[in-house]
Amino acid sequence: MNNITFFSLVKREVARFSKVAIQTIFAPLISTGLYLIIFSYSFQNREVAGYGIPYIDFIVPGLIMMSLIQNSFANTSSSLIGAKYNGIIIDFLLAPFSYIELTLGFMIGGMVRGMVVGSVTYLVATFFYGGAVAHPLLALFFAFLVSSIFSLFGIVAGLWAEKFDHVSIFSNFFITPLTFLSGVFYSVKGLPGIWSEVSLFNPVFYMVDAVRFAFVGQSDITPVFSALIIGSLALLLLVVVTYLFKIGYKVKS
Amino acid sequence: MSTAIEIRDINKSYGNLQALDDINLDIEKGEFFGLLGPNGAGKSTLIGILGGLVHKDSGKITVLGNDIISDYRKTKKSLGIVPQEITFDPYFTVRETLEMHSGYFGIKDNSEKIDELLAALSLTDKADIGPRQLSGGMKRRLLIAKALVHDPEIIVLDEPTAGVDVELRNSLWDYVINLNKQGKTIILTTHYLEEAEALCDRIAIMNKGRIVKVDSKESLINSIDKKIIKIKFADAAHGLEEELVEIDFKLNDDRRQIEIETAKKDIDKILKKINALNLDIVDIDIESAKLEDVFIKLTNLGGDEHE
Repeated sequence: MNNITFFSLVKREVARFSKVAIQTIFAPLISTGLYLIIFSYSFQNREVAGYGIPYIDFIVPGLIMMSLIQNSFANTSSSLIGAKYNGIIIDFLLAPFSYIELTLGFMIGGMVRGMVVGSVTYLVATFFYGGAVAHPLLALFFAFLVSSIFSLFGIVAGLWAEKFDHVSIFSNFFITPLTFLSGVFYSVKGLPGIWSEVSLFNPVFYMVDAVRFAFVGQSDITPVFSALIIGSLALLLLVVVTYLFKIGYKVKS
Repeated sequence: MSTAIEIRDINKSYGNLQALDDINLDIEKGEFFGLLGPNGAGKSTLIGILGGLVHKDSGKITVLGNDIISDYRKTKKSLGIVPQEITFDPYFTVRETLEMHSGYFGIKDNSEKIDELLAALSLTDKADIGPRQLSGGMKRRLLIAKALVHDPEIIVLDEPTAGVDVELRNSLWDYVINLNKQGKTIILTTHYLEEAEALCDRIAIMNKGRIVKVDSKESLINSIDKKIIKIKFADAAHGLEEELVEIDFKLNDDRRQIEIETAKKDIDKILKKINALNLDIVDIDIESAKLEDVFIKLTNLGGDEHE
């Protein structure tokens, strides 16, 4: 791996979203801030069954995950579809990037944005709850893993998409439903009948649950199993995306 | 002189369309090489394969001895390709774009080269503005700067002067000629045949996905047996129709200028016939064929005369 080549791509990806920070960093905070205001006010006296903690403490890790997921995905998917739209995708093809450098370069750009928005969401959330994190290093570890997964997923979407509309198919029909049904706002254990088992097929559930464990020390399932699922998914996507760059999926004719 | 680019048996099709049909070509180091052909001839597809933008169906290309597939990182560093389509990254200024591209090619601090390119391409005063504020010609010059920022050994210019005004076109060519003199290999595709004729040492003419002719510029032009004799007379010339029977010619309305297109072997015969009329001649000019004549002839053949 050529360090200068690789870090130039990372730098480009970070600089790209930093130049439009109002749209990429601050706008997502508004929606998360509204969730925090509404839920902290509406359910201030409510506790989550089986957890014995205030509702706001329960949803903060999920909301942070939601910001992280949406922004990691948005960064890589919009960067690639934008590059295809502007024609500058050829800059990445003509330059001597290895396929893994392209994968990691775009991925880290998405991770940085996800982590920045996630961190600022956490800072805002501290105004609504104490700000305690039971296992801070574990929280960071899971946040890195989750942001890498959705950055990689965003690369797949950006490569596949032929227009901006196509990217919204991914976010509206996959990411948003999977995130909202992952237990951000409720405990999956408390779901009636088969629905708690169905939730186990939702990969985002493991991400939210693992991060919740890192924050409050409790989770619906064991965090080791969640880590295995998340780690495997990250590895699989890393291989898939590197392969897509190798074959020039939808970018080479 | 050793080989800069070796192209062997390259084929590429898009569905039923054979975009490239068994292309074989050697381009020597230090050459100023022209790749000419009508739209759809396959020039950009060939350049796309060279740069890794297009998959080939079969065949092999080496750049400075390195295979474009197995040694693609080396070959990409050796190539500077100016694409035909104008593209730009709207997030970054001209200078930022060039700094970023230097980084892509593994160069950390490249400000000296960037300043040189900005000056050579008359973009110095635009260095700190975004590409949306550049005119079409300026955007094209930025593309050229991007391709040259890593000081490549081989420079491929795919229609580089489309939309660039004459003055800047000349300064661009001066810069490229200078690069060629420094030993850089230049490959040019252009619709301006006069440019190719003025600049290129050797030329390949493509048509319908095939290379129909590769030769030195002089040999190509000499391959067309065509001379145009232009004669100006002091007074209105009479008797030409009778004397030049079976010879095609154009006579001006005032009968003071004649233009005759002929083969080389007939020049002497024609001049003697005109001389026999005892006309008062004030000027004679004999023009040779141009690259354009070769181009028209070969591309009209539809690839029948390929090698």
